[in-house]
Amino acid sequence: MKILATIYKEFLLLIRDPGGMALIFIMPLSLVIVMALVQDAPFRDYQEIQLDVILVDQDADSLSVKVIEAFKASANVNLIIKTDTAEAKRLVQAGDYKAAIFIPKYASETLRMKSRELITTVFSNFGLPVAPSDSTGVSTIELKIFFDPAIKANYQQTLSTSIEKIIATVQSEWILEELQIQLGDGRENAKKTELDLSQIIQVSHRYASTHKYQGLMLNSVQHNVPAWTMFAMFFILYPLAGNFIKEREEGSMLRLRLISGSQFPVIAGKFAFYFFVCMTQFLMMIAVGIFVMPLLGLSKLVLGGNPLLILLTASCVAMAATGYGLLIAVFFRTAQQALSFGSVSVVILSAIGGVWVPAYVMPEILQNLSRFSPMNWGLESFNDLFLRQASIYTILPNVLKLVSFALVTVSASVLIHKSRTVV
Amino acid sequence: MTSIVKLDHLIKKYHQSSKPAVSNVTLEIPEGAVFGLLGPNGAGKSTTVMILCGLLRPDSGSVSVMGLNMQEQGSDARKLIGVAPQEIALFPSLTAYENLFYFGRMYNLSSNVIRDQIKKYLEVFGLTEKANKPVFTFSGGMKKRLNLIAALLHKPKLVILDEPTAGVDVQSRNMILDFLTELKAGGTTIIYSSHVLEEAERICSHLGIIDEGKLLVSGTRAEVMVAHPECKNLEQLFLKLTGKNIRD
Repeated sequence: MKILATIYKEFLLLIRDPGGMALIFIMPLSLVIVMALVQDAPFRDYQEIQLDVILVDQDADSLSVKVIEAFKASANVNLIIKTDTAEAKRLVQAGDYKAAIFIPKYASETLRMKSRELITTVFSNFGLPVAPSDSTGVSTIELKIFFDPAIKANYQQTLSTSIEKIIATVQSEWILEELQIQLGDGRENAKKTELDLSQIIQVSHRYASTHKYQGLMLNSVQHNVPAWTMFAMFFILYPLAGNFIKEREEGSMLRLRLISGSQFPVIAGKFAFYFFVCMTQFLMMIAVGIFVMPLLGLSKLVLGGNPLLILLTASCVAMAATGYGLLIAVFFRTAQQALSFGSVSVVILSAIGGVWVPAYVMPEILQNLSRFSPMNWGLESFNDLFLRQASIYTILPNVLKLVSFALVTVSASVLIHKSRTVV
Repeated sequence: MTSIVKLDHLIKKYHQSSKPAVSNVTLEIPEGAVFGLLGPNGAGKSTTVMILCGLLRPDSGSVSVMGLNMQEQGSDARKLIGVAPQEIALFPSLTAYENLFYFGRMYNLSSNVIRDQIKKYLEVFGLTEKANKPVFTFSGGMKKRLNLIAALLHKPKLVILDEPTAGVDVQSRNMILDFLTELKAGGTTIIYSSHVLEEAERICSHLGIIDEGKLLVSGTRAEVMVAHPECKNLEQLFLKLTGKNIRD
C-alpha cells in the first residue's frame, strides 16, 4: 500500500514537471534519432556506400570496356566517364569525387602484346614452336588512380584491390586466349574456348548465424537504438536524484522520516516508479527504431532475438540504472553535487561501455575498462540478442552482472538512507 | 498526572561544535499538557525536539514517550507522535489533498479514514476551497496550516510543533493557536517549541526555558512565575534567565 502510494506520488510529481518529462522522454528520443543519423555513414563501410569515381578512358579499347563492365556490376562504385585528365584531377583534388582512374592510351594493346610475349617466352623455353612476336621490350602499362586526400583508408584500399583484381582477371583471360591461339596455330580443327575464370573459385560471405535473421549486421540503427536507450535509462538519475534531493531540501523527506516504520516503502516506491519509467523509455526507443528510423532513410531496427529475453535484458538494465540513480541520490547531499557527478559518470560509463562507438574499435585499454561498465553489459546482451539471436545462456553472465549491480546499488542506497534517518 | 514524555539526563554534542547542544536535560511532560519549550536561537530547542522525534540519537541519556524508549522502540513511539517541523514538509507540486492523502497512506491509514480526516481538518483550517490547488501556490500561512494538518492525520497522542507560527500572518497565527487550545481540550499533549513568548503565555500550561543546551527552568506556568516573583511577565523571566545578548 505504501509502495503504491509512493509510486502514484512519484507519477504525479513527474507529470507536473515538464522539464523532467522532456529530459526523460523527448531528449532521449531526439538523441537516438540524431545519433543514428550522424553515425549512419561511419557505420556503413565500402559494402554499403556507393562511391562516385571518375574513369578517364584514353584507351577506349577492350581493357577499358572490361573495367567499365566490372564496375557497372558493382553496387559500390558509380563510374563517371571523362576524357580530360586535368579536369578529372581537379575534381578529385576539390573533393567532388573520391577517386579518378586513368587508363592510358594503348593499354589494351600493350596488355595483349605483354600476354603474347609471356606465352612466347614460355613456349620457347620448352622448345615449342612459337608465333612471331613483335612485343619484345614492351613497356609496362601504367594505370593510375588519384585519390581525394580525405578518402578513408579502407575505401582507398578496396578501390585499389578492385582495380587490381579486374586487371588480373583480364590479364589471365588474355593469357589463356593467347595460349589457345599459339597452341592452335596451324591446326585447322583448333577450337577456341571462351573461359570464365570467375567460376573457378567463388568466395561467398555469410554471417556466422544459423538463425532466422542470418545476414543482419551491426549498423547505425542496430547500434544506436539499444546504446542510446541505455544511456537514457541511466540518465534517469537526473530526475530521480533531483527529486530526491529536492524532497530532502524542501522538507517533505523529513516528514517521511518522522513517520513510523521502515523507510523501505519510500525507497522501493521510488525504485519501482523509475524502473517503469526506464521500461517505458526502452519501449518508446524500440518503437522509434522500428517505425520512425525507416522514415528517415535509416535501416529499420530488427529485434532478431527472443522478445522475452530482450525484455529480460531491458528489465535488468532498468534495474541497474535505477539502482545507480538511487545511490547517487542518497549519497550526495546537494543537487549540484549529485547531478554533476551523476551526469559526468553516466557519460564516462557510456563512453567506455561502447555507447558512443562500439567497444571493439576502441583502444585495448578502453576495451578492458569497458568490461566494468554496466552499459557494456547491457549493450553486449542486446547485440547478442539482436544480431546473434543468442540464447539465455549466452546473455546470462551479463544479465547477472546487471542484476548484481542493481542489488549492490539499491542495498547501498537503503543503508545510506537509513544511516541518515537517525544521526 | 502521568508523564507522557520523559527526558533523562539527555546530552547531545555535534561533531563540529565545542559545546554540547543539549546538556544534561531532564524533563517530564504530563499527559494533556501544552508544554512550551522556549529559548533563544541556538539554545538547543530544535535538537531536543529532534531527539524527541527520534531523528537524532543522544550521546547519553534516554527519552521515553508514553513509556516507550525512543532508542529501542522508536518505531512504535513514532506512531503516537505527530510532528510539524519548522520547515514546510510538503510536496510543493502536489495539491493539498494529494499531499495529505499521501502522508495518510504512509501512516497506514485506510482511504476512508484519510478522506474523513482531510475533510475535517481542511474545514477547521479554512483550506477546503484550496484542497485541489498545488501547495506552491499557497501563502506562508496556508502552508503552515497544511503542515500542521499533515501532523494530525493519524490522531497522535503527542503533537510536537516546532515554530508553528513563524512567518505567518496574524489571522493564520490566531487560527493555529485557537486550534491548539481545542486540541489540548481534547486531551492531546502538545510540545510547542517557540521563541514567541506571547503565544506561549496564551496557550501553554507548562513551560521549560532552555539556553546553551541547559534547561534553566521547567514546570507549570504558574510554578515558574511564582519561583521568580520579581518578573512581571514571561518576557522578563526569559530575559532574566537567558540574558540580553544577541545570539545569532
